[in-house]
Amino acid sequence: MTEPVLSVEHLSVDYLVAAGRFRAVTDVSLSIPPGRVVGIVGETGCGKSTLAQAIPRLIPEPPAKIESGRIVFQGTDLVPVPAHRLPLVRGTGIGMIFQEPLNSLNPAYRVYDQIAEAIQIRHWREQGILPVFRPGPTPFDYSRRPMPGTAEVLSKPIVPGGATAEAAQRRLRTRADYRREVLEYLRLVRINDPETILHLYPHELSGGMRQRIMIAMALSEKPSLLIADEPTSALDVTIQAQVLTLMKELIDEVHASILFISHDLGVIAEMADDLGVMYAGRLVEFGPVEAVFHAPRHPYTKALLRSIPSRYKDDGPLPSIPGSVPSLANPPPGCRFHPRCPIARPVCAQEPAPPLREVGSTPTADAPAHTSACHFAAEVEQLP
Amino acid sequence: MAAPVIDAPPPVGPVATRPGVRWIPAVRGFYRIMRSNPLSFVGFLLVVAILVLSALVVVDPHAVVPYGASQQTGAYTAPPTLFRWPPGGAHPFGTDGGSLDIYSEVLLALPLDVGIGVLIAGLALILGGALGLVAGFWDRPGTLGGVGSAVILRTTDVFLAFPSLVLGLAIVAALGPGLWQVILAVTITWWPYYVRLVRGEVLAIKHLPYVVAARAAGVGEGRILLRHVLRNVLEPIVVYFTLDIGTILVTFSTIAYVIPQGVPYPPVGAARPEWGSMMSYYYGNALFSQEWWAIVFPALAIFVTALSFSLLGDGLRDVLDPRTRRALAETSTSAAGGTPVGASTASVHPTEGG
Repeated sequence: MTEPVLSVEHLSVDYLVAAGRFRAVTDVSLSIPPGRVVGIVGETGCGKSTLAQAIPRLIPEPPAKIESGRIVFQGTDLVPVPAHRLPLVRGTGIGMIFQEPLNSLNPAYRVYDQIAEAIQIRHWREQGILPVFRPGPTPFDYSRRPMPGTAEVLSKPIVPGGATAEAAQRRLRTRADYRREVLEYLRLVRINDPETILHLYPHELSGGMRQRIMIAMALSEKPSLLIADEPTSALDVTIQAQVLTLMKELIDEVHASILFISHDLGVIAEMADDLGVMYAGRLVEFGPVEAVFHAPRHPYTKALLRSIPSRYKDDGPLPSIPGSVPSLANPPPGCRFHPRCPIARPVCAQEPAPPLREVGSTPTADAPAHTSACHFAAEVEQLP
Repeated sequence: MAAPVIDAPPPVGPVATRPGVRWIPAVRGFYRIMRSNPLSFVGFLLVVAILVLSALVVVDPHAVVPYGASQQTGAYTAPPTLFRWPPGGAHPFGTDGGSLDIYSEVLLALPLDVGIGVLIAGLALILGGALGLVAGFWDRPGTLGGVGSAVILRTTDVFLAFPSLVLGLAIVAALGPGLWQVILAVTITWWPYYVRLVRGEVLAIKHLPYVVAARAAGVGEGRILLRHVLRNVLEPIVVYFTLDIGTILVTFSTIAYVIPQGVPYPPVGAARPEWGSMMSYYYGNALFSQEWWAIVFPALAIFVTALSFSLLGDGLRDVLDPRTRRALAETSTSAAGGTPVGASTASVHPTEGG
């Protein structure tokens, strides 16, 4: 397998608040190969948003604290990077799409200004006017050189109009140049009449439009990795479908590496290549999306899949998982799922859950292994 | 009562075929908002009148001031009359016992008083605003910013613990009389309010999703503060600034009233009169001379000026907020038969709030 764009190794993130220590993310490892969409699914409060925000180190520290682990982005560990250098990684390195499209655009600026700012950041970094992030042992390049190394990932057909090396070298100085590029990105996210939208303020746009603008902003920086943190959760169903269709088309066009966070199994099944299932701060199962959906090897995943409502099953009430999500301040000993697990045995409460172990399929050139963190992964198949 | 015809198609106006965005000229938009809020429009007109009049008094006093400063030296010309006159006729505000025309004096004081109000409010805004931005944005305990923030805030607490007027008077007493001393004194008492105001706004804004989104886009902290946070705190602050000019004017005049030596009256040489010291001077004299007009008219001038700026401030809030600005501009347009902005794009749903 090729070098992953991002690999998270044994990451633990805690929130240190007056009420105590909340272990939001515990010992999570995953890697995102170039051009692959990795989905993370889990209930509310399972730590998936914390994970998403911890990767570009966006999470406010304090109260959050990265207790241990590494976040290796293009060969550089981001955990020891000092705060003042982090902006260099964000945007052009790791882009982000947020959950709240309604508030994620600055109400004081027009659509043009917001996208142009993102383009300007990328452009200044390409031109060497601003320092850039450089993959490799020395993380940041302050010399006035065009962005090295990342060019390979970046020059994929991510840009409408073609981000060739020459295009990257082209200086965008005039307002007309910026305007043209902003319009290109607005068209990329399928906005009708971009000339009009350009001059509108965020409050004049609908939620779906705003989310498209957010996507345009994130893409206009040509990130090596895009993190989508529940990008459609705040939208109503029809708009959600539109935005998802758009994102799916863009994933193909742009060939981006994406970490896609959602609580919606249907959305994840549609979008992701690989799927990780989180429960109470831990990654309990990881594997190619078909494998996880068709042959789940963790009782939690199985239970989660059973509780998807379907119009074709009408055999009694909707199945749900008994019990409730444990408090992250005081997680249960052993496997965190054992109080709700149908196949739990004494060992589950006494010994910590095993690390993710290979079950079923073996890794191939372009798909990761199917792994599960259950002592009795083999028995999950027999569950109803 | 006839039942309303439900099936009747709604009256269809001319469908706007708009090739591009219709730019609402800033001036027209401003006028529309002002018109929708008549009181602030009155304030706006008054402020414009005051500013024009002040400029005239500075540039060419003889054009507007009937008696008083000579063009060349700024010294006072011969008294127009040897007797004191009540308001009316050639002396709309009357004259004093020393034969000065009160109307001319009030007009001559106008640029000084307005200028002082704007200057002090501006200094306090820049100084207090900058400190407030820094104190609000970098306030994490245990860091350099947290220490700086604590120092700034405790300092403002010290200043805010005193009544501003008393503190101002004490500073003037310490610095000695003089126009600049009074300006300095009021500025020193005034900046902490801006620190508090700006800091509060910054604290409310800096955790909003759009600030986090800007950070995620790779915008540096300094640029986030100056571009994303500052632009959104500007609105309440400019409003407060405008309202404040009136208050500062009153405070300054009060200090000048209590310590008339600060801005002596009658003015000597090229100096200008000041409303507060004018009132102070005539208050001393009027006890014997019954020249009520010599006190009432400068007081009225302070009142009208302060009121004008306050009225304007209310309207400015609407002008500065893009939401109300466009909404109000649109209301007026659609009332005139046009279509709201964005109506030609089916996928745009202008929403309220946001």
